[in-house]
Amino acid sequence: MASSGLKNFYRQKKKGGVAKPSSNRSFAGKSPTVSLSHLVDPVPSPLHGSGAGSDKASLAAGIGEEEDEKLRQFDMDMRYGPCIGLSRTDRWERAAAMGLNPPTEVEAILLKSSAAASGCLWDGRV
Amino acid sequence: MELRDIAPFPTSCFPSSLFPTMRADVEMNEESSKLFEREQAIYNNLDERFEIHKEKYKGQQYSHIYFSRLHHMRNLLYSLVPNWKPNLPVKTILGLEEGKECIIVGTIYKHMKLKPSILDEYSKERSKVPLVKPHNFVHPDDHLILEDESGRVTLTGSLLDPSAFVTGIVVALHGKETSEGDFFVEDMLEAGIPPQTELPLSSIQCIKNVTYVSPLQLGILGCLIILAGEDKYVVFVSGLSIGSSIFNPLQFQLLVDHITGHLGDRNEQSIASQIVHVVVAGNSVQIPQVLLSGHTIAPRDQSTLTEPIKELDILLNQLVAAMPVDIMPGPNDPANFSLPQQPLNRCLFPGASAYNTFMSCTNPHQFELDDILFLGTSGQNIDDLFKYSEAKNRLEFLEKTLKWRHLVPTAPNTVGCYPFTDRDPFLIESCPHVYFIGNQDKYETTLVQGPEKQLVRLICIPKFCETGNAVVLNLRNLECHTLSFPTSLDL
Repeated sequence: MASSGLKNFYRQKKKGGVAKPSSNRSFAGKSPTVSLSHLVDPVPSPLHGSGAGSDKASLAAGIGEEEDEKLRQFDMDMRYGPCIGLSRTDRWERAAAMGLNPPTEVEAILLKSSAAASGCLWDGRV
Repeated sequence: MELRDIAPFPTSCFPSSLFPTMRADVEMNEESSKLFEREQAIYNNLDERFEIHKEKYKGQQYSHIYFSRLHHMRNLLYSLVPNWKPNLPVKTILGLEEGKECIIVGTIYKHMKLKPSILDEYSKERSKVPLVKPHNFVHPDDHLILEDESGRVTLTGSLLDPSAFVTGIVVALHGKETSEGDFFVEDMLEAGIPPQTELPLSSIQCIKNVTYVSPLQLGILGCLIILAGEDKYVVFVSGLSIGSSIFNPLQFQLLVDHITGHLGDRNEQSIASQIVHVVVAGNSVQIPQVLLSGHTIAPRDQSTLTEPIKELDILLNQLVAAMPVDIMPGPNDPANFSLPQQPLNRCLFPGASAYNTFMSCTNPHQFELDDILFLGTSGQNIDDLFKYSEAKNRLEFLEKTLKWRHLVPTAPNTVGCYPFTDRDPFLIESCPHVYFIGNQDKYETTLVQGPEKQLVRLICIPKFCETGNAVVLNLRNLECHTLSFPTSLDL
């Protein structure tokens, strides 16, 4: 009992890994929820073994993978300033007010889904 | 922007016991026929950009302020670069190519050896941190780094003297990248003094040393001198430090009595009736440090906490009954620590806040009086510049902040600041006509002329508790003099 608890506590191999922003696999919600649940609950969470493809968090937010990718690109673009500590909507509005012409398709995605709009790429990670 | 109802000047200020009865009656009869009305000026408060009650803190960091600052200043500098060096390409720092001359724009970061860092407590080698903290952290080994969103590069070359710069200013640099990866600076462009709205004619004609007024204009203006308005004065006082051991209540009472017209004969009263506004620029109270140490205070001692503020309220009450007063918070006042300091709460002044002439203002404070733009702080910005850079005198620091177009360039690096996300409220968009700073060691003033006919009066207001001096500014010609209340008896 103890050993199985320990095995689950210390992951033997990386599942999904620390995905880089440019990776195709959408990962936005996956790794943080996995690591947090590990500390809280010794039983592996259902997301733990799931493979590539569907991103539960972004699906929950109601947006598809390419739209998620566009949002991430918007977050990472240094022209619009740092993204930490600011919701995506606020950052988009700030960029528009400064005359930086942020992409309007990003605005469309943000209006569609409030969950994606209120967060940023680094939520739960930093 | 309404003219305030102000009580007319007191007519009799001679206590009758000092004079023979007969004479006092005659004096009273003469004076009651002439009532001095106090002059008034149209006041416009422009503190809205410094207020933070609409802001909501969401855990953001300071990077947003720097981004805002860089964005606005960079757009400005990009518009100035074609007039400065039109043929050179403008690059970002990551786009630098070795050996090629170009222009880059970024925020300066000054790496300082002696700058106190919280991490020094954890460092294993303690040898380089001196045991006695110096007042000025400048060291010959300081060097400058230019940073923008893409990267940072160390600046070399003898043109820029690190002791004249601080972290947080945005400049354009002309130079080239060296083989070591540094940037060799050949020339530098600062934003320069911002544009200024012209003063109404009657105000500028009396200013001495005005070299750009043509002789023809002088002829026409000469007759306007006669038609010009009355002299109107603004009194600046700061560093009252009520509650400290060096506060002398007699000195401040003398000042209040003089300004409100309760002192002096008719000549003095007529001069005092031309004072239209009083600005109290910070550090009005000083709560004894021992009470702020965090220990619980017994209920019977709690009244000592509020005594300085109550005394200030009583004194302010006399002032506001006579004329508009702006009070700004300072580093020692019961307001928030980080800039922009929010106005002192009106409930601290139950007596004075009943008057509509009482204005509690932010620090920094910006306002207009008869279309003359005033901008000033209680001293934190220049005191911090003094700690981290060098200049001839405090007035030079003031001039530098104007040229850098930023009120507090070291915020948020070494001066506490609210982490704004969408703007930097300390950018100076339009040049003030009067730029003042409180709580300085001595009175200093000068008139600065900008390249585009800007004219700024710079004023360093001395601490009243130490010097007994207040500063009086004439709105008609921007001339300044001190009002001195020495109370020591050695002559």
